Amino acid sequence: MEAKKEAPVKQEVKKQAAPAPKQAPAAATVGGKKEQPRIGVFICHCGTNIAGSIDIKEVEAYAKTIPNVAHADNYQYICSTPGQKKITDAIKEHKLTGTVVAACSPRLHEPTFRTATKEGGLNQFRFEMANIREQNSWVHMHDPEGATAKAKDAIRIAVAKASLLQDLTPKTVPVERAALVVGAGVAGMQAALDLAAAGIKTYLVEKSPSIGGRMSQLDKTFPTLDCSQCILTPKMVDVGRSPNIELMTYSDVEAVEGYIGNFDVTIRKKAHGVLTMPEAEAKGISGGGCNGCGDCEPVCPVIKPNEFEMGMKPRKAIYIYHPQVVPLLYTIDWDSCIKCGLCVTACGDKKAIDLEQKDEFVKIKVGTAILAIGFDLFPVENKKEWGYKRFENVITSLEFERLICASGPTSGHLIRPSDGETPKRVAFVLCAGSRDNTGIGKPYCSRFCCMYSLKHAHQIYEKIPGVQSYLFYMDIRSFGKMYEEFYYRIQDEGAKFIRGRVANILEDPATKNLHVYTDDTLLNRPVDMEVDLVVLASAVEPSWDTTRTRKLFGVSCSMDGWLLEAHPKLNPCGTTTAGVFLAGVCQGPKDIPDAVASAEGAASAASIPIHKGEVELEPYFAQCIEEKCAGCGMCVNLCPFTALALVEKDGRQVMEVTEAKCKGCGTCGGFCPGGAIWMNHFATPQIVAQIDAFLLGGEQ
Amino acid sequence: MEATHKYAFFLGCIAPNRYPGIESSAIKTSRKLGIELVDLKGASCCPAPGAFGSIDLNVWYAMAARNVVLAEQMKTDIALICNGCYKSIWEVNHKLKKNKDLRDAVNEVLKEIDMEFKGTVNVYHLAELLFDPKICGVEKIRASVTNPLKGTRIAVHYGCHLLKPRKERTWVAPGIGETENPMWMEEMVAALGAEPVQYRNKMQCCGAGGGVRGYDIVHSLDITNEKMINLMEVKADALTEVCPFCQLQFDRGQIEIQEKFGVTYGLPVLHYNELLGLAQGMSPQELGLDLHGISCEPFLQKVL
Repeated sequence: MEAKKEAPVKQEVKKQAAPAPKQAPAAATVGGKKEQPRIGVFICHCGTNIAGSIDIKEVEAYAKTIPNVAHADNYQYICSTPGQKKITDAIKEHKLTGTVVAACSPRLHEPTFRTATKEGGLNQFRFEMANIREQNSWVHMHDPEGATAKAKDAIRIAVAKASLLQDLTPKTVPVERAALVVGAGVAGMQAALDLAAAGIKTYLVEKSPSIGGRMSQLDKTFPTLDCSQCILTPKMVDVGRSPNIELMTYSDVEAVEGYIGNFDVTIRKKAHGVLTMPEAEAKGISGGGCNGCGDCEPVCPVIKPNEFEMGMKPRKAIYIYHPQVVPLLYTIDWDSCIKCGLCVTACGDKKAIDLEQKDEFVKIKVGTAILAIGFDLFPVENKKEWGYKRFENVITSLEFERLICASGPTSGHLIRPSDGETPKRVAFVLCAGSRDNTGIGKPYCSRFCCMYSLKHAHQIYEKIPGVQSYLFYMDIRSFGKMYEEFYYRIQDEGAKFIRGRVANILEDPATKNLHVYTDDTLLNRPVDMEVDLVVLASAVEPSWDTTRTRKLFGVSCSMDGWLLEAHPKLNPCGTTTAGVFLAGVCQGPKDIPDAVASAEGAASAASIPIHKGEVELEPYFAQCIEEKCAGCGMCVNLCPFTALALVEKDGRQVMEVTEAKCKGCGTCGGFCPGGAIWMNHFATPQIVAQIDAFLLGGEQ
Repeated sequence: MEATHKYAFFLGCIAPNRYPGIESSAIKTSRKLGIELVDLKGASCCPAPGAFGSIDLNVWYAMAARNVVLAEQMKTDIALICNGCYKSIWEVNHKLKKNKDLRDAVNEVLKEIDMEFKGTVNVYHLAELLFDPKICGVEKIRASVTNPLKGTRIAVHYGCHLLKPRKERTWVAPGIGETENPMWMEEMVAALGAEPVQYRNKMQCCGAGGGVRGYDIVHSLDITNEKMINLMEVKADALTEVCPFCQLQFDRGQIEIQEKFGVTYGLPVLHYNELLGLAQGMSPQELGLDLHGISCEPFLQKVL
């Protein structure tokens, strides 16, 4: 203790200071018998990653002085096969009771060294890792003395814990052979198709009346210029046809209970007001039900804007969005329906329309779930300086898609909303709300706007002779396969690129033409460009229902609202909730190829537990020490994973843990006023020993 | 009406010296709306943010802080009627409250005249107080009108320093903070019975601020001229603002534009308080409208 007081900074001081613990920590017990801990310490060089700033020999020599350490060794790369062999051999040779590897982050190689420990004949949870790379050599590379001292501390702490580690057995739970996919855009459909093809019963839940999502609203796709509907429709049809997919359109996930392998999900099937043919059959209406004939639509007296057409085309209160919808089933918009009954008459013998239909709740059981809940456009009218919703001839890119699409409201003729004229000068404003640090827009890059704006420019050259396009951009991010080539192609077609963020757009009140103001930052001069039409490449944001949905599944989001993956690089489809995966844009902006790829990744990940049939859970559960539990129930409310409950045992209330739901976060264990909760692998004595090892240099 | 809200009235320079009607109307109209403006004795120039702030920030901080301290000594919040003054007095008060180092440096200077900035008062633009329903509000303005300005089309110029920089402003009244297309002054104009009109590039600068008028008058008038073209396009009967410096630039500026560019517009320019005075029944003489460079007669004929 005295020595530790003078510990810091200078090396000579530290050499004396690096404290030799005076007394061994209390021994772990095995089968009720006390066991003298014998810990092996293995120090990794990681090439020069660690050895470049940490004196490995000095650390090893120190490790040998730590009580309970029976063996210490070092190696270039302990994660390599010979490195791992050092661990397995040492366990046998030195009769070790636990291992400590001082190397990188446990996120990287904990599984590797656990396996090595197991192969040496120990329980795999008798292993502890000391991170001397990410949290030491990398950040202290200019302070070798300090780094070496810190490595000694880290190893001493790890040894203290390893001395008290216990054998644990991973728990296995069976997995329901069914999966849930929420959202039937291109990502959700792809995920469902993959799961179904792998023989897994898949429930595909979509909130709107038809599937296809945003992609079905697009005219063409970049850089191949495929017709979006043409490549999407076969997938939509496959979804409708697949015997393994149960399609639930116009439905919301209402409640989720359970855990990986055993999710109990309640689906709200919103009332279409229209019976499908099977539903009619079940009600005894032979040959009835909606066949999509559309007889009901002309007689409906209520006219509303069609959301699919971005409000630029009318629909009735009984509607389908467009002729190719899957499933082909009419839906009643209850907010607008006046229940006049004209549609019921028009429907006639099919008796498909039920104006009194109510929402239904369906319970399903699935092993894993994929969220593919997509995106909405950022409300670009919030950027007032661009005048969207104030100036008629300022439109969004999604409105452009509908206007240029042959099946859209103008049959593919791009027109100015103010007068129906064909525009001859069109400005495309990129980063409209993206890469925006004003607090009004989004700080991130929306990733696909550059490319679709290039495509838009191409489309007007294709359709309007003599047209001129201007792309106002910050950077053109043409990062994908054949994207840069596409960029050159559009340049050659005559598009003008002006590098500058648009400051302001003003309308000429007489002509309704627009003046686009910016600084051309390449030519270093101000720009006032008069154009006939402005297309804002609006940023994207998480779809409006994201927060509610993610909370049902216990999935977090990052600061920008997109759903949070388990690891941005190494586990992009997983989430921190076991058994719940992410596909498509809901995890962050993606173009179609990336969304489909992520969907296939998510489907593959979601099918693994189902094919294995059971999942192994890390045994870091909270355990109730029943004789100490007062049954106060405080922990039950604290648990973020609803893993705890009060149950009656021997005539009194005690807490019980549902181990499969417990994530081992320790919230309850840290709080319990009676010390009645034992956190496996992070038990109070183990943590106290670590703290003592640090503060007292190992003194107890 | 019983005055319920009392403020130390910071006059600034241009209003009392060039357009005394703004000062008198501010005091008289506010009284009818429950706002009492009392003299802030010993106040100096704000000092002008462009002229002083661009040359020596420390002088700007110290002089503005001195004006704030006068109000602190009266234990009264400040109300003012000029966007330039708002920039100086509000912003310096705000910065000194937040930044201890700056406050200490300024207090070092103020010590020489036995003053200390304590950060105990707030600074408001009178227009903001008139719009704020907790203080006055549009409905109260409407109720105070005895001579509605019916049949007139009035364009609004907000001025830059009042609203920008948006990130630094902390508005109390809801709806004021919008910088790209604000509409709250239009609501206040409509409350007087006039029709507010929108015009191209409403938020463009008048051309005067930031020292431009003092540094390069032709460039400054060029900006004003563009603004005038846009205003004439929508056939406004008058232009209103809440900044005497903007008023000077549009009013005297039209004469200078005539001299330098040979274009005549003849658009009357009135501070919102002058308009409010007219609507509350004050006479043109009381408002000193004869001191305006551009005759207000065509407008007055429509409303009197």
